[in-house]
Amino acid sequence: MNALRRFAARLGHSAAGRHDDQRFRDEMEEHLALQTEDLVRAGLPPEEARRQAMLRFGPVQPLREQLHAQRRMLPLESLVLDVRFGLRMLAKSPTFTAVAVLTLALGIGANAAIFSVVNAVLLRPLPYAAPARLLSVSEGQPKAGIAEAGLSWPAFLAMQDRNQVFSAVAGLPIHALTLTGRGEPDDVSTVAVTPEFFSLLRAKALVGRTLAPEDGREDAAPVAVLSENLWRSRFGADPAIAGRPIMLDQRAFTVAGVMPAGFQTPFVSQADQVWIPLAQDPLFSKWRTRPPATHWMLPVIARLRPGLSLDQARAELQTLSAGLASQYPAEQGWQAAVEPLRQAIVGDVQEPLLLLLGAVGALLLIACANVASLLLTRATARAREMAVRMAHGASRTRLARQLLTESALLGLLGGAAGVALAWGGVSVLASLLPADLPRPHPVRVDGAVLGFALVLTLAASVIFGLAPVLQAFRADPQANLKEGTRAGEGRSSRRARKVLAAGEIALAMVLLAGAGLLLRSLARLESVGPGFVTDHVVKANVSLPRLQYTKPDQWTAFMKELMTRLEARPGLQDAAIVVPAPIADPAVSLPFSIVGNPPLPPGAAITADFVSAGPRYFRAMGIALLQGRVFSRDDTASTPPVAVISASLAKRYFPHENPLGRRLTFGFPPQGNVARKIVGVVADVHDVSLARKPGPMMYVPFSQAPLWGGDVVVRSRLSTQEVAAAIQAATHSIDADVPVTQIASLPGALQVSVARPRLQTLLLGLFSVLALLLAAIGLYGVVSFSVAQRTREIGVRIALGATPAGVRRLVIGESAALVLWGLAVGIPSALLLAHLLSAMLFGIGPADPLTFVGGALLLSVVAVVAAWLPARRAMGVDPMAALRNE
Amino acid sequence: MKKAEVRQGTLALMVLRTLQVLGPQHGYGIARRVEQISGDLLAVNQGTLYPVLLKLEQEGAIASEWGASENNRRARFYRLTRQGQKQLRAETEDWEQTSAIIGRFLRAKAEDLL
Repeated sequence: MNALRRFAARLGHSAAGRHDDQRFRDEMEEHLALQTEDLVRAGLPPEEARRQAMLRFGPVQPLREQLHAQRRMLPLESLVLDVRFGLRMLAKSPTFTAVAVLTLALGIGANAAIFSVVNAVLLRPLPYAAPARLLSVSEGQPKAGIAEAGLSWPAFLAMQDRNQVFSAVAGLPIHALTLTGRGEPDDVSTVAVTPEFFSLLRAKALVGRTLAPEDGREDAAPVAVLSENLWRSRFGADPAIAGRPIMLDQRAFTVAGVMPAGFQTPFVSQADQVWIPLAQDPLFSKWRTRPPATHWMLPVIARLRPGLSLDQARAELQTLSAGLASQYPAEQGWQAAVEPLRQAIVGDVQEPLLLLLGAVGALLLIACANVASLLLTRATARAREMAVRMAHGASRTRLARQLLTESALLGLLGGAAGVALAWGGVSVLASLLPADLPRPHPVRVDGAVLGFALVLTLAASVIFGLAPVLQAFRADPQANLKEGTRAGEGRSSRRARKVLAAGEIALAMVLLAGAGLLLRSLARLESVGPGFVTDHVVKANVSLPRLQYTKPDQWTAFMKELMTRLEARPGLQDAAIVVPAPIADPAVSLPFSIVGNPPLPPGAAITADFVSAGPRYFRAMGIALLQGRVFSRDDTASTPPVAVISASLAKRYFPHENPLGRRLTFGFPPQGNVARKIVGVVADVHDVSLARKPGPMMYVPFSQAPLWGGDVVVRSRLSTQEVAAAIQAATHSIDADVPVTQIASLPGALQVSVARPRLQTLLLGLFSVLALLLAAIGLYGVVSFSVAQRTREIGVRIALGATPAGVRRLVIGESAALVLWGLAVGIPSALLLAHLLSAMLFGIGPADPLTFVGGALLLSVVAVVAAWLPARRAMGVDPMAALRNE
Repeated sequence: MKKAEVRQGTLALMVLRTLQVLGPQHGYGIARRVEQISGDLLAVNQGTLYPVLLKLEQEGAIASEWGASENNRRARFYRLTRQGQKQLRAETEDWEQTSAIIGRFLRAKAEDLL
């Protein structure tokens, strides 16, 4: 304490200069005296000697001014002093420092971690040249409620012609082709692109070349471009790969080049990729020449010409769609639309991410309130020190700077610890992120995240640092200097601490309500039955190479043979082929019409989800038959086309009649115009996701709507591995070159579909628990400090006959009042903010009473617990000791 | 202004040298010594010594404390610190080098400079 006082004195007088001036005058006096004596010794009379001495010394006043100016500390020097002093003060109270730093570290760390995801997904520009001008183009039927998805081929060609608006347009359908010849046959993600694709994204090859315009011609030799990852894993990074042949779906392609690993196709996240010209694609190339009787959803990207706005592009597309509609009847009702490519890639994750960022922001505010409250407590204890310094002449600005430096130091320590926390947290977070979260960049702590953390740290330091400064400014140095008075807390400071504590409760309530809503929603979601049996069901994708298996008859025959071989094995009787499998695969929505009903006006298409399934599918998946029959082996390509519909289709489109015997016209292209007789009605299933209500669905026998591949689903008591091995063995016993991929148990596939809500709930839950903890600590601090301050009053009360229970009531009552204030602000705010969550909730409303009552109760319980310890201390106050102390 | 700076620099070097030779001294003692050696440099404005002393003290080259003067009155005594010793050595070298160069330069004939 002695060193501290000396230091404070030094700070005080160096700023005032009074002390130094005195020293100079003393020195000058002695100087003149000695000089005078010397001159007297030399023979001058004392009067004259004194006059001479003063003359030789020179003018005094300018000298004093010069010294004064010289003594004023340079800003940098005073900063160094402040920092050193601040560090010493922090080291002096290690508990305070540790609590404050840890609190801030939690707040800043959580913010930095979430920001690193926001930065990677939402903020950093896409990894392409001039990404702001990249667009995604698609057609939809806004009137019929059909969402935009891809372009038809004529629309694509028409867009390529509008080159005064779009400098380049490229189509990129994505599917899997079978790569054979090197090791196990495997599906690789293949992007069939028009050659403009690479130049549009301004991407350069790592080895060899990308596609040239000539490669897009029908009669060109088939070429392929490999991804660096595939080149390394499958071709041993062969530097002379360009010009070598590879086999895709049993067809030879010449490798043109290799793309660097940093190059990603928009919408595709697989590291193993092949790019081939669209004209060479075994599936899509044929579709180009077909008349657009049905819609082909070709994903299209475009680059807007410089200087043109998005609105101009939209206007251009409006005229384009109008032109197409007059030319092709099938285009009627379709409207082409553009959106920035980033938006198309990032899709619907923006809202949940910003929500999480808001949640961690609230967490940081709570942390700041806590630290501010701690600093206020300390400011009370240090009131004397401040008064001493002011008495020594330290100016208020000087003291404010000192206090703010201390706060900034605290903030920086907290920020550094927070970044360390984020560093560790981000890798965990990145591994938790759902696989389907679009990530144009890796999620990590980079410069932007560090900058964000620094800005947050400084902002937080100012926020919580202002409290003690204001407190110090209000302090009356006279009162604080008086010997014997206890350093007491001013009324305004006590009120400030109470407001802070109530504010923390309010923020914690908001976070708790948000987390509670998500948790309840997740519980509802997970309790939803998907409408089919998932236990013991394994699915595996079997896809036939299209060049070898060209005819639909071959597809049917292969799958029939596969089922026969599977069923021959014990325990694998319930096996079936299905495309697409519910939830595990994206649903296919197709337009349909009811035979006998008046034709719909153009643009008013009705759609239902389409499934092509084998006879045993409904049995294997446990989908109940409600009416009529399911498919049998007797439904073949040569028998009349039949269909099974779902209960909701029956209810919506045949509300007052028996649908059996009616006919629907629909089919997977090119069989869109086949009329199929309804033979059965089955129960609804969640085919898109658990969160989406089952919509109308229509099933056709695989034999009447065969595809080149599909999912084999098997319900069996055997383990997933055994079933997978059996499927593989059966497939390869027919054709060793057919790949079996995407093997999963259906419960696993369901888990993936709830991964996103689960992660959101986990994170928001974690943050709200932290918020609750911090708010409890804050409340504990306020109440226990107030007990310490009121020891005397409590002593008097006890002396006057207050019972321990009464004292406890007094203390807990104080805490309860704070909680009530906090809830009074927090619950309405939470109700307002919960509406932002509406879109993410399933099965409950944003004002779910259970959540709010539960949250408020939880907070109240925590508040009572936080006040319990100080209350016990208050009950134990010895009235004599308390009174004597004063 | 330029002249004053040079003066202050010179004076600082003299102060350091004085303290090195004579040991701890009060302001007047330093002034007397500088006067003895340099003649009129301080004859008019002895007071200008004090800003120099303060500057050296702020730089850490010298330190000061109260002590008793010859006639037992309170006086401020200045002494050279270790850092001051170093500074003095460095500045002396500097100064000698500069003066040697300037000397040579001034002695040089006009044709040598062309």
